[in-house]
This record gives sequence, C-alpha cells and structure tokens, in this order.
Amino acid sequence: MFASVLSTEFLKLRRSKVTWGTLLGLSLAPLGLALFMWILREPGRAASLGLLGTKANLSGLEATWPFYASTLTTVIGVGGLLLLSFIVAYIFGREYTELTAKNMLALPVARHWFVVAKLVVALVWWLVLVAAVVAETFAIGLALGLPGFSAALALSTVGNSLLAAGMSYLIVPVVAWVTTVGRGFMPPLAFALVMLALGDVFAHTGWAQWFPWSIIPLLIGMVGTPQTLSAGSYVVLALTFFAGVGATIAQLRWADNAQ
Amino acid sequence: MSAQTAVATRGLSKRYGHVTAVDGLDLDVRRGEIYGFLGRNGAGKTTTIRMLLGLIRPSAGDVEVLGRRIVPGETAAFRGVGYLVETATAYPNLTVRENLEIQRRLTGSQTGAVAEAIALLRLDEYADRRAGQLSLGNKQRLALARALLHSPELLVLDEPGNALDPAGIVEIRDLLRRLSAEQGVTVFMSSHILSEVAHLADRIGIVHEGRLIEECPRDELAAKARAFSTQALTEQERADALLTMDLERYFLMRTGGER
Repeated sequence: MFASVLSTEFLKLRRSKVTWGTLLGLSLAPLGLALFMWILREPGRAASLGLLGTKANLSGLEATWPFYASTLTTVIGVGGLLLLSFIVAYIFGREYTELTAKNMLALPVARHWFVVAKLVVALVWWLVLVAAVVAETFAIGLALGLPGFSAALALSTVGNSLLAAGMSYLIVPVVAWVTTVGRGFMPPLAFALVMLALGDVFAHTGWAQWFPWSIIPLLIGMVGTPQTLSAGSYVVLALTFFAGVGATIAQLRWADNAQ
Repeated sequence: MSAQTAVATRGLSKRYGHVTAVDGLDLDVRRGEIYGFLGRNGAGKTTTIRMLLGLIRPSAGDVEVLGRRIVPGETAAFRGVGYLVETATAYPNLTVRENLEIQRRLTGSQTGAVAEAIALLRLDEYADRRAGQLSLGNKQRLALARALLHSPELLVLDEPGNALDPAGIVEIRDLLRRLSAEQGVTVFMSSHILSEVAHLADRIGIVHEGRLIEECPRDELAAKARAFSTQALTEQERADALLTMDLERYFLMRTGGER
C-alpha cells in the first residue's frame, strides 16, 4: 500500500507549479552569490554601475573559492531550512487549503502511510534542489575563474552542503505537525520563521548545541567559526525528527480532522 | 447491531465546548436501502457523517459501518465505503482522470475502474481537463465518480445534489436508485432539501439540533406531510408548490432531461 500512496504523492508533486517555483527560487541563490563574488573582485566597476553603496564595507571578504563555497553552505543551511519548511508546509498544507484532507483521511489506507510518503516526497524534492544548486554553484564558480579551487575543497563543500541539508530535513517533521494542527500554510510558515529567529538567538548562547534550530547555524559558522558538533547535537536532531514524525502521525490518527 | 445493518450508531454525540452538535443519535441503516438524513443547516448532518467516516472522534457513543466498529485512526472499515463529504473537492492541478487514478490506486481498484467511473458520470468530455477548471456541477460529478469508483457496498453522501442542475439531479437520482436496486448498494444521503430526499429515499430520518426527531418510511412521511399541508398551507402556497413542480418538469423536458 505504501508504494501506491507514494506514487500518488509524486503525481501530486509533479503537477504542482510550486515544485518548479522552488527550483527557480533556490537556483537564483548561486546567481546572487556569483554577483557578490564579481562585486568583490571588481569593486570599482560595481560602484560605477551602482551595485555598491558608498559606505559598503568589504574588508575581510574575498572573491575566492573557500569564501564562495562557505557562503553556499550558509545559503543551503539557513535559506534552505526556510525553503524546506515551506516545501513541507506546502505538501501537508495543500490537503487542507484544497479541502482534500477529508477525502484522503477516509480512504482505507493507514494514515501513517500518508505522513511517511509525504516526508519521502519532501526528502526527494529537497535532495534534487540541493543537488541542482550545488551543481549550479560549481558551474558558475568555475566560469568565474575564482582562485583557490581544489578537489579537497570541492569534496568538503559537497559534504558540508549535504550535511546541512540533511540536518534541515531532520527538523522539518515538526513543521509538518504544525501544519496538520494549524490546517493550512500560514501557521507552519510563521512557526518556521520564529524558530529560525530563535535559532539565531540561541546560537549566540551556550545552549546552541541543544536547540535544533541553532545547531545548523553553529555547524556552518553563521555565528563565529564553523564548529564540529558534539554527539549530543546529533541526538537532539534525531529526537526532533522522531518527535515530529510521531506527533504528525498521532495528529492525523487521533485528532479531529474536520476542515 | 445486526448483520443486516450497514450503518449503526448508538448514543452518538459530539460536543464542541458547550455546543452539542450531535446528541445521542441512534441510527440503523439497513443494507440495500436508501436512507435520507434530512435536516436544516446546522442540524448535525455533516458532523454525523464525519463521525461515520472516522474524520472526527465522537464525544460519546459508538459507530459501526458494514459490521466494523469505527475506531479513531482505523481506516480498514472504509474499504467498502464510497463517500462525498460537504463540498466536492479534488486536486485542482490534476486532471479528472488523474484525480480518479489517485482514488483507484489508493482503493486498490482495477485499471479499468477509472474509465468506467468517467463514463458512468458522463465526464468523458472533461477527462483530461484540470479539476480546478471544472464547473461546480462537474466537480460534483467528479466527487461522485470518486465515491463510486471502487464499487462500494455503502455510499455516504453529504448533499449529493449540491451544484447540480435539475437534469443532473435527476440523473444522479436515477443512478443511485439503480445502484441500490440492481447491486444492493446502501445509500446514506444527507440533505436539507426535502424534495431531494423525498424522490429517492426508502426511509427518512429527520435530525434537528443533533437529535433524530422522526424516522419513518418515505410514504408514511409523505402522508403526514400531505395531511399537514391540507391543514396548514394556504391556497396560494399550494398553487406555488404545484407551479414549481410543473416548471421543473417543463424545464427538464426542454433541456433533454427525462420526466
């Protein structure tokens, strides 16, 4: 039965304009990054074109592969977490906004399969997006001819991007749960934004490695230098994942699901 | 609850805070009959249907559908149930055929079931049109096609005549009558429109403020209504009622409907 549920979820995804919208949205990030690199390399021309304000401070920033690659990880880690939250909110929330949840939940299909299938679809969609953006970033970086490229750097960039993407994925089942409780897009999006802001706040405290939404900023060096995470952080992320999946299944299984 | 019963409820209640939507409802819908569940807006019809389909949890009481007790989250009992709850909804980005294909896969029906349902509800012309582009009447047909696709033993229909034009109402009425007579399908249909129920149902239950206040065979209810109208209606009201019936017949004759 799971295969049938999964195939129908992919059918819904394929026909959705939002799928292509997110691909377009995230693919703009490397372009913006490339523009930033070009500005760093050619500040005079950028200023003459009006791309650089007179008070802009570019000290400490450099148009090199290491800097370019670390910015990509930040984009995937933080921007991606927000985008992935949107994707999950969309996959679960559309059943409520399109009023199809009542059709879905009275089918002779165990409700946990819908949760698992939707999360699998979100994972596949997310991995395709990340792969596309990493590939695009590398292509643009090579075209720009930035200095400092090496195979080791490329490997570590791909590795860090996938690690940040994977960690983001572990957090978002909680967003799915908020979507099913709130029955629409707005509550999970508001939740994701608040959690991201809280993550930034906690990232500046000693609690950073214990709060799921500040673990990624910690890893990618959004606050200070990138840090190696303790085992405790991985346990927190795993617990967050299982709690989110469990709560979403429980919500669909035992709560009232009227629209 | 006997084996001859398709739907049975005992003391079924649903409370939302201080509001009691359904209050101690005892229902017995026999296999093969068409049961009309008649009530004004807000009488508790849709809440009852949601409980029958396991979408919401009863505050008290029991529900049995096709011999299986409905337990929150257990959906296996709905294998033989086709349903239409409130407004007819479908995935707007998917075509009629794709929407039905989802239903087919999730109910484990045969490949030909989609084409059969499309033909049965006369949706051939719209089969490859997106559901979001359909008229309300055709959305209703699509919802009915969904309900019928897996040849259910029991049809639970909430206001099945919604959005259909008079010819469409007659067509669906004939279809339901045929399914009941030829295939022994049980139909539990709710409506706030007496004529819709009166034309079709074998037995009628009247629900008011969450309680079943009257339940009897259609002919018995019709006799009571006739006696009441003789006493209570004015000549003008009787003339208006006859005029409405005449106009409906004339309209159907002019637009190709039967009668």
